[in-house]
Amino acid sequence: MHATPSPPGRTRGRPGPALGAAGAVLVLWYLLARSGAVAPGLLPTPGETAAALADSARSGLLATDLGASLARAGQGFALGAVTGGALGFATGCLPGLSAAVTPVISFLRPIPAIALVPLATAWFGIGETAKRLLIAYAVLLVVWLYVHDGVSRIPVSHLRAARSLGAPAHRRFTEVLLPAAAPALLAALRYGASVALLALVAAELGGADSGLAYRLQVDGQFLRVDRMFAGLLVLGLLGVAVDLVLAAIGRRFVHWSAS
Amino acid sequence: MSLGVRLEGLAVRHGDAHVLERTDLELPAGSFTALLGPSGCGKSTLLNLVAGFARPTEGRVTAGGEPVRGPGPERGVVFQHYALFPWRTARGNVEFALKRLGLPRPERRRRALAALAEVGLADGAGKYPAQLSGGMQQRVALARALAAEPEVLLMDEPFGALDALTRTRMQTLLRELWKRRGTTVLFVTHDIDEALSLAERVVVLGGTPGRILADRAVPAGPPDPELRSLIARHLGSG
Ligand SMILES: Nc1ncnc2c1ncn2[C@@H]1O[C@H](COP(=O)(O)OP(=O)(O)OP(=O)(O)O)[C@@H](O)[C@H]1O
Ligand SMILES: [Mg+2]
Repeated sequence: MHATPSPPGRTRGRPGPALGAAGAVLVLWYLLARSGAVAPGLLPTPGETAAALADSARSGLLATDLGASLARAGQGFALGAVTGGALGFATGCLPGLSAAVTPVISFLRPIPAIALVPLATAWFGIGETAKRLLIAYAVLLVVWLYVHDGVSRIPVSHLRAARSLGAPAHRRFTEVLLPAAAPALLAALRYGASVALLALVAAELGGADSGLAYRLQVDGQFLRVDRMFAGLLVLGLLGVAVDLVLAAIGRRFVHWSAS
Repeated sequence: MSLGVRLEGLAVRHGDAHVLERTDLELPAGSFTALLGPSGCGKSTLLNLVAGFARPTEGRVTAGGEPVRGPGPERGVVFQHYALFPWRTARGNVEFALKRLGLPRPERRRRALAALAEVGLADGAGKYPAQLSGGMQQRVALARALAAEPEVLLMDEPFGALDALTRTRMQTLLRELWKRRGTTVLFVTHDIDEALSLAERVVVLGGTPGRILADRAVPAGPPDPELRSLIARHLGSG
Protein backbone atom coordinates (compact mmCIF):
# COMPACT_ATOMS: atom_id res chain seq x y z
CA MET A 1 0.00 0.00 0.00
CA HIS A 2 1.14 3.54 -0.65
CA ALA A 3 0.77 6.10 2.10
CA THR A 4 -1.94 8.69 1.80
CA PRO A 5 -0.10 11.90 0.95
CA SER A 6 -0.84 14.97 3.01
CA PRO A 7 -1.75 18.10 1.05
CA PRO A 8 1.23 20.28 0.20
CA GLY A 9 2.08 23.55 1.93
CA ARG A 10 1.36 22.44 5.47
CA THR A 11 4.58 23.59 7.07
CA ARG A 12 3.91 26.00 9.88
CA GLY A 13 6.17 28.13 12.07
CA ARG A 14 7.20 26.48 15.33
CA PRO A 15 6.43 28.54 18.45
CA GLY A 16 9.91 28.10 20.01
CA PRO A 17 11.70 31.12 18.51
CA ALA A 18 8.68 33.39 19.04
CA LEU A 19 8.45 32.46 22.72
CA GLY A 20 12.20 32.92 23.11
CA ALA A 21 12.03 36.40 21.62
CA ALA A 22 9.09 37.34 23.85
CA GLY A 23 11.07 36.16 26.90
CA ALA A 24 14.10 38.21 25.85
CA VAL A 25 11.94 41.33 25.45
CA LEU A 26 10.46 40.80 28.92
CA VAL A 27 13.94 40.50 30.47
CA LEU A 28 15.24 43.61 28.67
CA TRP A 29 12.09 45.51 29.61
CA TYR A 30 12.53 44.53 33.26
CA LEU A 31 16.20 45.50 33.30
CA LEU A 32 15.51 48.83 31.63
CA ALA A 33 12.66 49.68 34.03
CA ARG A 34 14.88 48.80 37.01
CA SER A 35 18.04 50.50 35.79
CA GLY A 36 16.83 54.00 36.54
CA ALA A 37 17.67 55.12 33.00
CA VAL A 38 14.03 56.17 32.51
CA ALA A 39 12.54 58.84 34.77
CA PRO A 40 10.55 57.27 37.63
CA GLY A 41 6.88 56.67 36.87
CA LEU A 42 7.26 56.67 33.08
CA LEU A 43 8.16 53.01 32.53
CA PRO A 44 6.41 50.37 34.63
CA THR A 45 8.04 46.98 35.19
CA PRO A 46 6.45 43.89 33.66
CA GLY A 47 5.22 43.05 37.18
CA GLU A 48 3.52 46.42 37.65
CA THR A 49 1.92 46.07 34.21
CA ALA A 50 0.63 42.62 35.08
CA ALA A 51 -0.75 43.97 38.34
CA ALA A 52 -2.59 46.77 36.51
CA LEU A 53 -3.97 44.19 34.10
CA ALA A 54 -5.14 41.94 36.93
CA ASP A 55 -6.69 44.96 38.58
CA SER A 56 -8.80 45.91 35.57
CA ALA A 57 -9.73 42.26 35.05
CA ARG A 58 -10.95 42.02 38.65
CA SER A 59 -12.93 45.28 38.49
CA GLY A 60 -14.70 44.12 35.32
CA LEU A 61 -13.44 47.12 33.38
CA LEU A 62 -11.32 44.94 31.11
CA ALA A 63 -14.29 42.77 30.16
CA THR A 64 -16.46 45.82 29.45
CA ASP A 65 -13.81 47.49 27.32
CA LEU A 66 -12.85 44.31 25.52
CA GLY A 67 -16.50 43.53 24.82
CA ALA A 68 -17.24 47.01 23.49
CA SER A 69 -14.14 47.04 21.29
CA LEU A 70 -14.66 43.53 19.99
CA ALA A 71 -18.28 44.26 19.12
CA ARG A 72 -17.32 47.40 17.20
CA ALA A 73 -14.36 45.85 15.44
CA GLY A 74 -16.20 42.60 14.74
CA GLN A 75 -19.29 44.21 13.27
CA GLY A 76 -17.31 46.75 11.28
CA PHE A 77 -14.98 44.04 10.03
CA ALA A 78 -17.84 41.76 8.99
CA LEU A 79 -19.60 44.54 7.11
CA GLY A 80 -16.42 45.73 5.41
CA ALA A 81 -15.20 42.22 4.57
CA VAL A 82 -18.49 41.15 2.98
CA THR A 83 -18.95 44.31 0.89
CA GLY A 84 -15.24 44.55 0.02
CA GLY A 85 -15.14 40.87 -0.91
CA ALA A 86 -18.22 41.18 -3.13
CA LEU A 87 -16.82 44.29 -4.82
CA GLY A 88 -13.47 42.55 -5.29
CA PHE A 89 -15.10 39.62 -7.05
CA ALA A 90 -17.19 41.94 -9.22
CA THR A 91 -14.36 44.20 -10.35
CA GLY A 92 -11.90 41.31 -10.57
CA CYS A 93 -14.18 39.48 -13.00
CA LEU A 94 -15.29 42.48 -15.04
CA PRO A 95 -12.36 44.42 -16.51
CA GLY A 96 -14.69 47.24 -17.67
CA LEU A 97 -15.95 47.85 -14.15
CA SER A 98 -12.42 47.56 -12.81
CA ALA A 99 -11.13 50.32 -15.11
CA ALA A 100 -13.89 52.61 -13.85
CA VAL A 101 -13.34 52.09 -10.13
CA THR A 102 -9.55 51.65 -9.91
CA PRO A 103 -8.88 55.43 -9.94
CA VAL A 104 -11.44 55.87 -7.16
CA ILE A 105 -9.68 53.30 -4.98
CA SER A 106 -6.28 54.80 -5.75
CA PHE A 107 -7.59 58.14 -4.52
CA LEU A 108 -9.28 56.85 -1.36
CA ARG A 109 -6.62 54.40 -0.25
CA PRO A 110 -3.94 56.80 0.99
CA ILE A 111 -6.42 58.68 3.23
CA PRO A 112 -5.95 57.17 6.70
CA ALA A 113 -9.10 56.16 8.57
CA ILE A 114 -8.27 58.55 11.41
CA ALA A 115 -8.60 61.49 8.99
CA LEU A 116 -12.22 60.47 8.43
CA VAL A 117 -13.21 60.48 12.10
CA PRO A 118 -14.43 64.10 12.13
CA LEU A 119 -16.46 63.52 8.97
CA ALA A 120 -17.96 60.28 10.31
CA THR A 121 -18.92 62.08 13.51
CA ALA A 122 -20.48 64.96 11.57
CA TRP A 123 -22.52 62.58 9.45
CA PHE A 124 -23.48 59.85 11.89
CA GLY A 125 -23.04 61.48 15.29
CA ILE A 126 -20.89 60.21 18.13
CA GLY A 127 -22.66 56.85 18.56
CA GLU A 128 -21.81 53.32 17.50
CA THR A 129 -22.96 53.71 13.89
CA ALA A 130 -20.18 56.14 13.06
CA LYS A 131 -17.56 53.84 14.60
CA ARG A 132 -18.80 50.70 12.88
CA LEU A 133 -19.03 52.44 9.52
CA LEU A 134 -15.55 53.88 9.88
CA ILE A 135 -14.09 50.45 10.64
CA ALA A 136 -16.15 48.87 7.85
CA TYR A 137 -14.92 51.47 5.39
CA ALA A 138 -11.25 50.91 6.25
CA VAL A 139 -11.68 47.13 6.02
CA LEU A 140 -13.68 47.37 2.80
CA LEU A 141 -10.89 49.20 0.98
CA VAL A 142 -8.15 46.68 1.77
CA VAL A 143 -10.33 43.61 1.30
CA TRP A 144 -11.59 44.97 -2.01
CA LEU A 145 -8.08 45.63 -3.24
CA TYR A 146 -6.70 42.23 -2.21
CA VAL A 147 -9.65 40.23 -3.50
CA HIS A 148 -9.76 42.20 -6.74
CA ASP A 149 -6.08 41.51 -7.29
CA GLY A 150 -6.48 37.81 -6.49
CA VAL A 151 -9.51 37.34 -8.71
CA SER A 152 -8.01 39.16 -11.68
CA ARG A 153 -4.93 36.92 -11.42
CA ILE A 154 -6.90 33.68 -11.74
CA PRO A 155 -5.47 31.95 -14.81
CA VAL A 156 -7.87 32.27 -17.74
CA SER A 157 -7.17 28.62 -18.54
CA HIS A 158 -8.88 27.54 -15.28
CA LEU A 159 -12.10 29.25 -16.29
CA ARG A 160 -11.80 28.02 -19.86
CA ALA A 161 -11.21 24.45 -18.69
CA ALA A 162 -14.30 24.66 -16.47
CA ARG A 163 -16.45 25.88 -19.35
CA SER A 164 -15.10 23.23 -21.71
CA LEU A 165 -15.93 20.61 -19.11
CA GLY A 166 -19.53 21.74 -19.19
CA ALA A 167 -19.67 23.44 -15.77
CA PRO A 168 -22.54 25.96 -15.63
CA ALA A 169 -22.06 29.46 -14.17
CA HIS A 170 -22.93 28.54 -10.57
CA ARG A 171 -20.42 25.69 -10.54
CA ARG A 172 -17.77 27.88 -12.12
CA PHE A 173 -18.29 30.33 -9.26
CA THR A 174 -18.35 27.92 -6.33
CA GLU A 175 -15.91 25.32 -7.65
CA VAL A 176 -13.41 27.44 -9.58
CA LEU A 177 -13.59 31.14 -8.84
CA LEU A 178 -14.02 30.82 -5.07
CA PRO A 179 -11.25 28.27 -4.43
CA ALA A 180 -8.93 29.98 -6.92
CA ALA A 181 -9.43 33.26 -5.07
CA ALA A 182 -9.28 31.68 -1.60
CA PRO A 183 -5.59 32.39 -0.92
CA ALA A 184 -6.12 36.06 -1.80
CA LEU A 185 -9.34 36.13 0.21
CA LEU A 186 -7.53 34.78 3.24
CA ALA A 187 -4.71 37.33 2.90
CA ALA A 188 -7.39 40.01 2.53
CA LEU A 189 -9.13 38.95 5.74
CA ARG A 190 -5.88 38.84 7.72
CA TYR A 191 -4.85 42.26 6.52
CA GLY A 192 -8.42 43.52 6.95
CA ALA A 193 -8.46 42.35 10.58
CA SER A 194 -5.31 44.32 11.37
CA VAL A 195 -6.80 47.37 9.66
CA ALA A 196 -9.99 46.91 11.70
CA LEU A 197 -7.93 47.25 14.90
CA LEU A 198 -6.24 50.40 13.59
CA ALA A 199 -9.58 51.93 12.66
CA LEU A 200 -11.06 50.84 15.98
CA VAL A 201 -8.43 52.84 17.86
CA ALA A 202 -9.02 55.87 15.62
CA ALA A 203 -12.78 55.60 16.11
CA GLU A 204 -12.61 55.25 19.90
CA LEU A 205 -10.16 58.11 20.29
CA GLY A 206 -12.70 60.21 18.39
CA GLY A 207 -15.16 59.84 21.27
CA ALA A 208 -16.56 56.84 23.16
CA ASP A 209 -17.55 55.85 26.68
CA SER A 210 -15.90 52.44 26.74
CA GLY A 211 -13.42 50.40 24.76
CA LEU A 212 -9.73 49.53 24.88
CA ALA A 213 -8.52 52.67 23.09
CA TYR A 214 -10.94 54.89 25.00
CA ARG A 215 -9.49 53.49 28.24
CA LEU A 216 -5.97 54.24 27.01
CA GLN A 217 -6.97 57.84 26.54
CA VAL A 218 -8.49 58.08 30.03
CA ASP A 219 -5.46 56.39 31.61
CA GLY A 220 -3.27 58.82 29.68
CA GLN A 221 -5.06 61.78 31.21
CA PHE A 222 -4.27 60.41 34.68
CA LEU A 223 -0.72 59.47 33.69
CA ARG A 224 -1.39 55.84 34.68
CA VAL A 225 1.49 54.46 32.65
CA ASP A 226 1.08 50.98 34.14
CA ARG A 227 -2.54 50.82 32.96
CA MET A 228 -1.61 52.20 29.56
CA PHE A 229 0.99 49.47 29.19
CA ALA A 230 -1.61 46.90 30.18
CA GLY A 231 -4.03 48.32 27.60
CA LEU A 232 -1.43 48.28 24.85
CA LEU A 233 -0.54 44.73 25.78
CA VAL A 234 -4.19 43.69 25.42
CA LEU A 235 -4.48 45.44 22.03
CA GLY A 236 -1.34 43.72 20.78
CA LEU A 237 -2.39 40.30 22.04
CA LEU A 238 -5.82 40.77 20.50
CA GLY A 239 -4.24 41.44 17.12
CA VAL A 240 -2.00 38.39 17.40
CA ALA A 241 -4.87 36.16 18.52
CA VAL A 242 -7.12 37.24 15.64
CA ASP A 243 -4.35 36.68 13.13
CA LEU A 244 -3.54 33.23 14.53
CA VAL A 245 -7.19 32.21 14.29
CA LEU A 246 -7.49 33.45 10.71
CA ALA A 247 -4.23 31.75 9.76
CA ALA A 248 -5.43 28.47 11.25
CA ILE A 249 -8.71 28.71 9.35
CA GLY A 250 -6.68 29.46 6.26
CA ARG A 251 -4.49 26.39 6.63
CA ARG A 252 -7.64 24.33 6.89
CA PHE A 253 -9.25 25.71 3.74
CA VAL A 254 -6.28 26.75 1.62
CA HIS A 255 -4.12 23.69 2.22
CA TRP A 256 -2.88 23.50 -1.39
CA SER A 257 -1.29 26.94 -1.39
CA ALA A 258 2.16 27.36 0.13
CA SER A 259 1.50 30.74 1.77
CA MET B 1 -18.69 8.83 -31.11
CA SER B 2 -17.02 11.75 -32.78
CA LEU B 3 -17.96 14.91 -34.63
CA GLY B 4 -16.50 16.48 -37.72
CA VAL B 5 -15.35 20.11 -37.57
CA ARG B 6 -15.54 22.69 -40.37
CA LEU B 7 -13.93 26.10 -40.54
CA GLU B 8 -15.23 28.19 -43.42
CA GLY B 9 -13.83 31.49 -44.69
CA LEU B 10 -12.30 32.37 -41.34
CA ALA B 11 -10.71 35.73 -40.69
CA VAL B 12 -9.44 36.94 -37.33
CA ARG B 13 -8.29 40.53 -36.88
CA HIS B 14 -7.36 42.45 -33.77
CA GLY B 15 -7.54 46.05 -34.95
CA ASP B 16 -4.79 46.39 -37.54
CA ALA B 17 -3.31 42.99 -36.71
CA HIS B 18 -4.54 40.47 -39.26
CA VAL B 19 -3.98 37.13 -37.57
CA LEU B 20 -5.85 34.79 -39.93
CA GLU B 21 -7.28 35.42 -43.39
CA ARG B 22 -9.51 33.26 -45.63
CA THR B 23 -8.85 30.02 -43.81
CA ASP B 24 -10.88 26.90 -44.66
CA LEU B 25 -10.30 23.60 -42.96
CA GLU B 26 -12.32 20.44 -42.54
CA LEU B 27 -11.58 17.85 -39.88
CA PRO B 28 -13.52 14.65 -40.67
CA ALA B 29 -15.09 12.84 -37.72
CA GLY B 30 -12.55 10.56 -36.05
CA SER B 31 -9.51 12.06 -37.80
CA PHE B 32 -6.21 13.01 -36.15
CA THR B 33 -4.80 16.26 -37.52
CA ALA B 34 -1.61 18.01 -36.45
CA LEU B 35 -1.46 21.78 -36.87
CA LEU B 36 2.11 22.98 -37.37
CA GLY B 37 3.56 26.43 -37.76
CA PRO B 38 6.07 28.94 -36.45
CA SER B 39 5.41 30.84 -33.26
CA GLY B 40 2.80 33.57 -33.61
CA CYS B 41 1.26 32.26 -36.84
CA GLY B 42 -2.18 31.79 -35.31
CA LYS B 43 -2.29 28.12 -34.25
CA SER B 44 -3.72 28.83 -30.82
CA THR B 45 -6.08 31.38 -32.33
CA LEU B 46 -7.48 28.72 -34.65
CA LEU B 47 -7.77 26.11 -31.91
CA ASN B 48 -9.48 28.61 -29.60
CA LEU B 49 -12.07 29.31 -32.29
CA VAL B 50 -12.97 25.63 -32.40
CA ALA B 51 -12.98 25.46 -28.59
CA GLY B 52 -15.36 28.42 -28.56
CA PHE B 53 -13.07 30.61 -26.44
CA ALA B 54 -13.02 33.26 -29.18
CA ARG B 55 -15.17 34.29 -32.14
CA PRO B 56 -13.89 34.84 -35.68
CA THR B 57 -14.12 38.31 -37.23
CA GLU B 58 -15.47 36.65 -40.37
CA GLY B 59 -16.49 33.14 -41.34
CA ARG B 60 -17.95 30.32 -39.32
CA VAL B 61 -16.99 27.29 -37.29
CA THR B 62 -19.24 24.25 -37.01
CA ALA B 63 -18.91 21.01 -35.06
CA GLY B 64 -21.16 18.18 -36.20
CA GLY B 65 -22.95 20.71 -38.40
CA GLU B 66 -23.86 22.92 -35.42
CA PRO B 67 -22.36 26.42 -35.26
CA VAL B 68 -19.91 26.84 -32.38
CA ARG B 69 -21.20 29.55 -30.03
CA GLY B 70 -18.98 29.00 -27.03
CA PRO B 71 -17.12 26.30 -25.14
CA GLY B 72 -18.95 23.01 -24.72
CA PRO B 73 -18.29 19.56 -23.28
CA GLU B 74 -18.47 17.89 -26.70
CA ARG B 75 -15.22 19.74 -27.51
CA GLY B 76 -12.63 18.87 -24.87
CA VAL B 77 -9.44 20.89 -24.45
CA VAL B 78 -5.99 19.92 -23.15
CA PHE B 79 -3.92 22.98 -22.34
CA GLN B 80 -0.17 23.45 -22.63
CA HIS B 81 0.16 24.16 -18.91
CA TYR B 82 -2.39 21.51 -17.91
CA ALA B 83 -4.81 23.97 -16.23
CA LEU B 84 -5.48 21.50 -13.43
CA PHE B 85 -7.29 22.83 -10.36
CA PRO B 86 -4.60 22.87 -7.65
CA TRP B 87 -7.20 22.63 -4.85
CA ARG B 88 -8.45 19.27 -6.10
CA THR B 89 -6.66 15.95 -6.11
CA ALA B 90 -6.07 14.13 -9.39
CA ARG B 91 -9.29 12.21 -8.77
CA GLY B 92 -11.11 15.44 -7.82
CA ASN B 93 -10.03 17.04 -11.07
CA VAL B 94 -11.44 14.16 -13.07
CA GLU B 95 -14.64 14.13 -11.00
CA PHE B 96 -15.12 17.79 -11.87
CA ALA B 97 -15.61 16.70 -15.48
CA LEU B 98 -17.98 13.90 -14.49
CA LYS B 99 -20.32 16.03 -12.38
CA ARG B 100 -22.17 17.15 -15.48
CA LEU B 101 -23.45 13.61 -16.00
CA GLY B 102 -25.36 13.65 -12.71
CA LEU B 103 -24.04 10.25 -11.59
CA PRO B 104 -24.30 9.04 -8.02
CA ARG B 105 -21.15 9.73 -6.05
CA PRO B 106 -19.74 6.17 -5.92
CA GLU B 107 -20.21 5.79 -9.67
CA ARG B 108 -18.49 9.13 -10.26
CA ARG B 109 -15.63 8.02 -8.11
CA ARG B 110 -15.37 4.68 -9.87
CA ARG B 111 -15.29 6.32 -13.29
CA ALA B 112 -12.70 8.89 -12.19
CA LEU B 113 -10.41 6.12 -10.97
CA ALA B 114 -10.98 4.21 -14.22
CA ALA B 115 -10.10 7.31 -16.25
CA LEU B 116 -6.89 7.76 -14.24
CA ALA B 117 -6.06 4.08 -14.67
CA GLU B 118 -6.54 4.50 -18.42
CA VAL B 119 -3.73 7.07 -18.51
CA GLY B 120 -1.58 4.94 -16.20
CA LEU B 121 -2.03 7.03 -13.07
CA ALA B 122 -4.08 4.77 -10.80
CA ASP B 123 -1.54 5.27 -8.00
CA GLY B 124 -1.61 9.04 -8.02
CA ALA B 125 -5.38 9.49 -7.66
CA GLY B 126 -5.15 11.02 -4.18
CA LYS B 127 -2.33 13.41 -4.96
CA TYR B 128 -2.62 17.13 -5.55
CA PRO B 129 -1.23 18.62 -8.79
CA ALA B 130 1.66 20.24 -6.88
CA GLN B 131 2.74 16.74 -5.82
CA LEU B 132 2.83 15.42 -9.40
CA SER B 133 5.52 15.76 -12.07
CA GLY B 134 4.76 17.60 -15.31
CA GLY B 135 4.14 14.37 -17.18
CA MET B 136 1.82 13.09 -14.47
CA GLN B 137 -0.07 16.38 -14.43
CA GLN B 138 -0.57 16.18 -18.16
CA ARG B 139 -1.88 12.63 -17.75
CA VAL B 140 -4.43 13.91 -15.26
CA ALA B 141 -5.39 16.70 -17.67
CA LEU B 142 -5.85 14.13 -20.42
CA ALA B 143 -7.92 11.88 -18.16
CA ARG B 144 -10.04 14.86 -17.12
CA ALA B 145 -10.66 15.93 -20.71
CA LEU B 146 -11.52 12.37 -21.78
CA ALA B 147 -13.77 11.75 -18.77
CA ALA B 148 -16.21 14.34 -20.11
CA GLU B 149 -16.47 12.09 -23.18
CA PRO B 150 -15.76 14.77 -25.77
CA GLU B 151 -16.29 14.05 -29.44
CA VAL B 152 -13.54 16.44 -30.45
CA LEU B 153 -10.26 16.74 -28.53
CA LEU B 154 -8.35 19.98 -28.93
CA MET B 155 -4.75 19.99 -27.74
CA ASP B 156 -2.56 23.10 -27.77
CA GLU B 157 1.11 22.06 -27.52
CA PRO B 158 0.17 19.67 -24.74
CA PHE B 159 3.59 18.04 -24.49
CA GLY B 160 5.67 21.17 -25.12
CA ALA B 161 6.79 21.46 -21.49
CA LEU B 162 7.75 17.79 -21.03
CA ASP B 163 11.19 16.18 -21.28
CA ALA B 164 11.92 14.02 -24.34
CA LEU B 165 11.32 10.64 -22.69
CA THR B 166 8.05 11.62 -20.99
CA ARG B 167 6.98 13.23 -24.22
CA THR B 168 7.48 10.03 -26.21
CA ARG B 169 5.49 8.09 -23.60
CA MET B 170 2.66 10.60 -23.73
CA GLN B 171 2.60 10.42 -27.53
CA THR B 172 2.26 6.65 -27.41
CA LEU B 173 -0.49 6.96 -24.83
CA LEU B 174 -2.37 9.52 -26.89
CA ARG B 175 -2.17 7.36 -30.02
CA GLU B 176 -3.59 4.39 -28.11
CA LEU B 177 -6.40 6.42 -26.60
CA TRP B 178 -7.29 7.88 -29.97
CA LYS B 179 -7.35 4.45 -31.62
CA ARG B 180 -9.55 3.10 -28.87
CA ARG B 181 -11.99 6.01 -28.75
CA GLY B 182 -12.00 7.37 -32.28
CA THR B 183 -12.31 10.96 -31.07
CA THR B 184 -11.60 13.69 -33.62
CA VAL B 185 -8.23 15.21 -32.60
CA LEU B 186 -6.72 18.58 -33.46
CA PHE B 187 -3.17 18.69 -32.13
CA VAL B 188 -1.15 21.91 -32.21
CA THR B 189 2.64 21.62 -32.11
CA HIS B 190 5.70 23.22 -33.61
CA ASP B 191 7.65 19.98 -33.64
CA ILE B 192 7.63 18.35 -37.11
CA ASP B 193 8.60 14.92 -35.82
CA GLU B 194 5.90 14.96 -33.19
CA ALA B 195 3.34 15.91 -35.85
CA LEU B 196 4.52 13.16 -38.23
CA SER B 197 4.64 10.43 -35.61
CA LEU B 198 1.21 11.20 -34.17
CA ALA B 199 -1.13 12.43 -36.87
CA GLU B 200 -2.75 11.06 -40.01
CA ARG B 201 -2.59 14.50 -41.54
CA VAL B 202 -0.41 17.55 -41.14
CA VAL B 203 -1.60 21.10 -41.78
CA VAL B 204 1.01 23.86 -41.92
CA LEU B 205 -0.08 27.35 -40.97
CA GLY B 206 2.11 30.38 -41.68
CA GLY B 207 2.66 33.77 -43.25
CA THR B 208 1.29 37.17 -42.25
CA PRO B 209 -1.63 37.17 -42.10
CA GLY B 210 -1.72 33.47 -41.29
CA ARG B 211 -3.15 31.00 -43.76
CA ILE B 212 -2.79 27.34 -44.66
CA LEU B 213 0.48 26.76 -46.53
CA ALA B 214 0.36 22.97 -46.80
CA ASP B 215 -2.05 20.15 -46.05
CA ARG B 216 -0.66 16.60 -46.37
CA ALA B 217 -1.76 13.13 -45.41
CA VAL B 218 0.85 11.22 -43.41
CA PRO B 219 1.23 7.72 -44.86
CA ALA B 220 1.18 4.86 -42.38
CA GLY B 221 4.42 2.98 -41.93
CA PRO B 222 8.03 4.16 -41.68
CA PRO B 223 8.76 7.91 -41.64
CA ASP B 224 8.88 9.52 -45.07
CA PRO B 225 11.95 11.80 -45.34
CA GLU B 226 10.58 13.54 -48.43
CA LEU B 227 7.37 14.56 -46.65
CA ARG B 228 9.44 15.75 -43.72
CA SER B 229 11.67 17.98 -45.83
CA LEU B 230 8.67 19.33 -47.73
CA ILE B 231 7.01 20.38 -44.49
CA ALA B 232 10.29 21.76 -43.18
CA ARG B 233 10.53 23.94 -46.29
CA HIS B 234 7.04 25.31 -45.68
CA LEU B 235 7.86 25.96 -42.05
CA GLY B 236 11.06 27.74 -43.05
CA SER B 237 9.20 29.99 -45.46
CA GLY B 238 6.53 30.80 -42.84
N1 LIG C 1 -5.89 40.05 -28.43
C1 LIG C 1 -4.96 40.18 -29.38
N2 LIG C 1 -4.67 41.42 -29.87
C2 LIG C 1 -3.73 41.57 -30.83
N3 LIG C 1 -3.03 40.56 -31.37
C3 LIG C 1 -3.30 39.32 -30.93
C4 LIG C 1 -4.26 39.06 -29.92
N4 LIG C 1 -4.28 37.73 -29.68
C5 LIG C 1 -3.37 37.19 -30.51
N5 LIG C 1 -2.78 38.13 -31.26
C6 LIG C 1 -1.73 37.91 -32.28
O1 LIG C 1 -2.13 36.84 -33.07
C7 LIG C 1 -1.00 36.14 -33.55
C8 LIG C 1 -1.23 34.65 -33.41
O2 LIG C 1 -1.24 34.30 -32.04
P1 LIG C 1 -1.37 32.77 -31.60
O3 LIG C 1 -1.31 32.74 -30.12
O4 LIG C 1 -2.52 32.17 -32.26
O5 LIG C 1 -0.02 32.18 -32.22
P2 LIG C 1 0.54 30.68 -32.10
O6 LIG C 1 0.71 30.19 -33.50
O7 LIG C 1 -0.28 29.88 -31.20
O8 LIG C 1 1.97 30.94 -31.48
P3 LIG C 1 2.80 30.03 -30.44
O9 LIG C 1 3.40 28.92 -31.24
O10 LIG C 1 3.85 30.96 -29.94
O11 LIG C 1 1.86 29.56 -29.39
C9 LIG C 1 0.19 36.64 -32.76
O12 LIG C 1 0.99 37.43 -33.63
C10 LIG C 1 -0.42 37.49 -31.69
O13 LIG C 1 0.41 38.59 -31.43
MG1 LIG D 1 0.01 29.01 -29.24
